[in-house]
Amino acid sequence: MAQREREQREMETRERVAGETLSAAWPGLTDPAHDSQRLFRQILGAMSEPGTLETLAVPAPPQTPPSDALGAALWGVVLTLCDLETRVWIAADLDSSALRQALTFHTGARITDDPASADFALLTHESFDPQMPFALGSDTYPDRGTTLLVVVEQLANVGPSMLSGPGIETTRALDIGDSPGCRALMDRLAANRASFPQGLDMIFGCGARLAAVPRSTRVTRADAKEVN
Amino acid sequence: MNGYNFAYLDEQTKRMIRRALLKAVAIPGYQVPFGGREMPMPYGWGTGGVQLTASILGADDILKVIDQGADDTTNAVSIRHFFQRVAGVETTTATTAADVIQTRHRIPETPLRAGQILVFQVPIPEPLRFIEPSEQETRLMHALEEYGVMHVKLYEDIARYGHIATTYAYPVKVDGRYVMDPSPIPKFDNPKLDGNPALMLFGAGREKRLYAIPPYTRVESLDFEDHPFEIQRWEHACALCGSDHSYLDEVITDDQGGRMFVCSDTDYCQSRRGEVA
Repeated sequence: MAQREREQREMETRERVAGETLSAAWPGLTDPAHDSQRLFRQILGAMSEPGTLETLAVPAPPQTPPSDALGAALWGVVLTLCDLETRVWIAADLDSSALRQALTFHTGARITDDPASADFALLTHESFDPQMPFALGSDTYPDRGTTLLVVVEQLANVGPSMLSGPGIETTRALDIGDSPGCRALMDRLAANRASFPQGLDMIFGCGARLAAVPRSTRVTRADAKEVN
Repeated sequence: MNGYNFAYLDEQTKRMIRRALLKAVAIPGYQVPFGGREMPMPYGWGTGGVQLTASILGADDILKVIDQGADDTTNAVSIRHFFQRVAGVETTTATTAADVIQTRHRIPETPLRAGQILVFQVPIPEPLRFIEPSEQETRLMHALEEYGVMHVKLYEDIARYGHIATTYAYPVKVDGRYVMDPSPIPKFDNPKLDGNPALMLFGAGREKRLYAIPPYTRVESLDFEDHPFEIQRWEHACALCGSDHSYLDEVITDDQGGRMFVCSDTDYCQSRRGEVA
């Protein structure tokens, strides 16, 4: 009996130490109720005014290990929106046991290998594949689609990609980078209109900055034929 | 307030509502189902709006609550006190000073600005419900964009009364796609939905649905070429502030048939009187 108690205590200590190490590299939100509220309002602002750039503005912004590609903004989005009711899919180039542990530890979200069952997908512009079968929702329940959280090369309100539609008074330029992956992402967003109300909503992250483009946005490229 | 999480709802519920809100914004006018919680007030008192407000409200926000345009009626006062107690937020009656405005059945007369959020309390979110009682059917009608029946309903008004007699909860089409119930606001307020710089969120607590109109979104009131959409007009001006372009309430002043017309938006009326005085 005494031995069992000792083992139990040792296990608890091990778990706590593991949790503390994890929290040091991938800390959660300092003030969960208020920080997540502030972050959510930024995400809501980004989603309701597509293409506007938001920079993390909480007293203690979320941190990620400097070596990790995910970036503080998208980690903040994960901490704000994910919990044990959500499934998260992680692309191979972002996948690490540290991220998986941190995600499970801080949010309790379930990690899935099936993109079609994911509520949120974490990926980079390099790992984006237009053929990836993310959930688009159905015509009767278009809300049941995957939200893509994508690390992009850059975020700036310039460039050939023009956004218009709900949330945009006239038009807004958005440049996420010129890599093949970034171009594929914008092409995928442009294709959303054809399947509306089904479609993919994306939140882009670049360091501590984020922007969002929902499926309601019309995306056109000045240097290409109109894709609408 | 001790014993409660900030803004009453637990964080798990707020996250669920927040995720639904993002989808609602991404699909303007579409009703997103959400796991509505029981709130410490009866259905019909704005439980949907209260849950949305609780999920977006921050400690630094300034909150305004109106009921039919007024800041001082029962529903507005009780919800304002609720958030003062459970979130400790600053409240205001001035439309221009508010970050978040929860409203029952009016849009303020003072134009809203970018960055403000207007939260509507919605009794029946489904505009097709009184025509088609089945949720499965109405969901399919939205999916197929089968809205002809709504025009038939408006046409029946014309056949019977000679004009469209729907005066509140007047159906709109959002961004050319979803037909939406703007909640029981007077049709006088419908033009304010179109291209509004503020974000508009709608919450129905009993029906557990929420939906949204992002800023600068095209919102058209349904009508016919030969019977275009029209808003109410009055022969009177407001008896208190003299406004001839605001929504007026008729108030009975005695039992001799005396009556007066006054602005339904109390903040607007008071600020106008302040300017004149």
